[in-house]
Amino acid sequence: MGPAALILLAICGIAFAGGGILLSRALAKKSANVVKGEPYECGIPTTGTSWIQFHVGYYLFALIFLVFDVELVFMYPWAVVVQKIGMTAFAEIIIFMFILFMGLLYAWKKGALKWM
Amino acid sequence: MSIDFLILMKSEMSLTLIIFILLSLKVFTNDKNHVALLNLTNILLAANFVFGFFFNASGELFNGMFHTNNVIALEKNILNLGTLIVSLQAFDWLKNHKHLLEFYVLLLTTLLGMDFMISSGNFLMFFLGLELSSIPLAALANLDLEKRKSSEAAMKMILSSAFASCITLFGISLLYGTTGTLNFAEMPKHLTGSELQLFSFIFIFTGFAFKLSAVPFHLWTADVYEGAPVPVTSYLSVISKGSIVFIFISVLFTLFRSFEGMWYNMLYLTIVLTITIGNLFAIRQNNIKRFLAFSSIAQVGYILLGLSSGTGAGATSAIYFLIVYTFSNLGAFGVIALVSAHAGKEEITDYKGFYANNPTLSWVLTISLFSLAGIPPTAGFFGKMFLVTAGAGKGNYVLVTIAVMNMVVSLYYYLRIVRSIFMDKNETPIAKLKGSNSIKLALAVCMIGVVVTGFATGLFENINTLIGK
Repeated sequence: MGPAALILLAICGIAFAGGGILLSRALAKKSANVVKGEPYECGIPTTGTSWIQFHVGYYLFALIFLVFDVELVFMYPWAVVVQKIGMTAFAEIIIFMFILFMGLLYAWKKGALKWM
Repeated sequence: MSIDFLILMKSEMSLTLIIFILLSLKVFTNDKNHVALLNLTNILLAANFVFGFFFNASGELFNGMFHTNNVIALEKNILNLGTLIVSLQAFDWLKNHKHLLEFYVLLLTTLLGMDFMISSGNFLMFFLGLELSSIPLAALANLDLEKRKSSEAAMKMILSSAFASCITLFGISLLYGTTGTLNFAEMPKHLTGSELQLFSFIFIFTGFAFKLSAVPFHLWTADVYEGAPVPVTSYLSVISKGSIVFIFISVLFTLFRSFEGMWYNMLYLTIVLTITIGNLFAIRQNNIKRFLAFSSIAQVGYILLGLSSGTGAGATSAIYFLIVYTFSNLGAFGVIALVSAHAGKEEITDYKGFYANNPTLSWVLTISLFSLAGIPPTAGFFGKMFLVTAGAGKGNYVLVTIAVMNMVVSLYYYLRIVRSIFMDKNETPIAKLKGSNSIKLALAVCMIGVVVTGFATGLFENINTLIGK
């Protein structure tokens, strides 16, 4: 086995992924019109190109959201064991939250929370 | 437990503290007085470097996730020293930069990541450290905000290093699948040398080779070095590479010791390619940062030559060479940083007739380049000599001959710059540059280092005894 199995796996993987695309291309009935080319086939037709500038505020909000999302995820396992470990765990989570809070303060200072 | 914890993780603790001081300064003050801030940061970094020599202990934490000993403490000190020199050299560039504190927060975060990576005793910790040390570097490469090339460098770096991280992670996952552990101490028992394990080793090796910019994984290096601001480039070429070499030593020598027959052959091929291609491409560069990028690729080849011996002498010579390399490469980069910050020139042709107005800086650059080339009175000669001697220990004289012949080739391109500094005529040579005291101090430290580390024979012995135990 060994390398033969790996090579077989690779071939199967490519065949599985590529086969579906090729089969659907070969078997499906083709019909082309403008509406079919739209990303969303409902609502009003879109105007302009998709290469427009988005306001950087969206990204900043997403980043800040991500930070606190991860903080909460981290606090779940902490909440399970906090009683067993006691004060040490409490001190550690305070330090952890303090670190993230500094990040929020920094974002605040830079005006990331202001919607322009 | 709590006191142990503080002493074993002291270098990480002190770095975290410095990062917090700087971040609080950013949040709670209006950081208008740049000179004072820069001086404060440099003093903090100097204190951190000095503090690195005291209270060093050996031990492990978190079930072997984190371990430290005297060799690791020495390695961290080398990185601290390098960061201090880079910070001193960045003074002239940062003085007028809007995002001064962000630069330091990001820079020290990468240093923190490197410390964790060197101290890691587990692949998870290693990977976290690796990522912490590489993601902020891409942001640092983008810090010349007005230049398009800087953004290009950051983009190339983040995309290619993400790809390399994926490959490393895939290798780690295969290794976990076959051994059932991620712990460095336990893993060697389970390494049987099955095909899947060899496969995973190749992937992990690739990740390291990418970060070291060894050929054939070097393609990102020249573009990133050219686009990034000079202090970031020097940080990338010395500190970032140094940290990877340190962890590579322990991964090869302790973890994958049973695969030595295999990694020797892989290193053999990598060394020949790295040294030859690094040298050949360095010859035809016109931008001085691109030139130093290829020169640093070739230097990595020599470091790997020392590692290929697989002995304690090899590890010692690699660590010793990195100390020498820190001084000599940062000496060269210091002059380039000064010229770039004051005159804004980065082409090799701009350096024609440099001696006319800046004799002292010309000598600093020349001595640094001599040391990189390995010309005898400088420390670079001793560093290369130990590396080649260690590499010859295996009895593979073909490899050693290729390496030594390439050293002769490298003389050509280092001396080409020296020639244009001293001999070439130029209508409009670079005017007399007035560097700040901080950059002068950094260059003086580098020059003393280049001369002294070569003759301080005790240094090599000291490292050897540290590793030998």
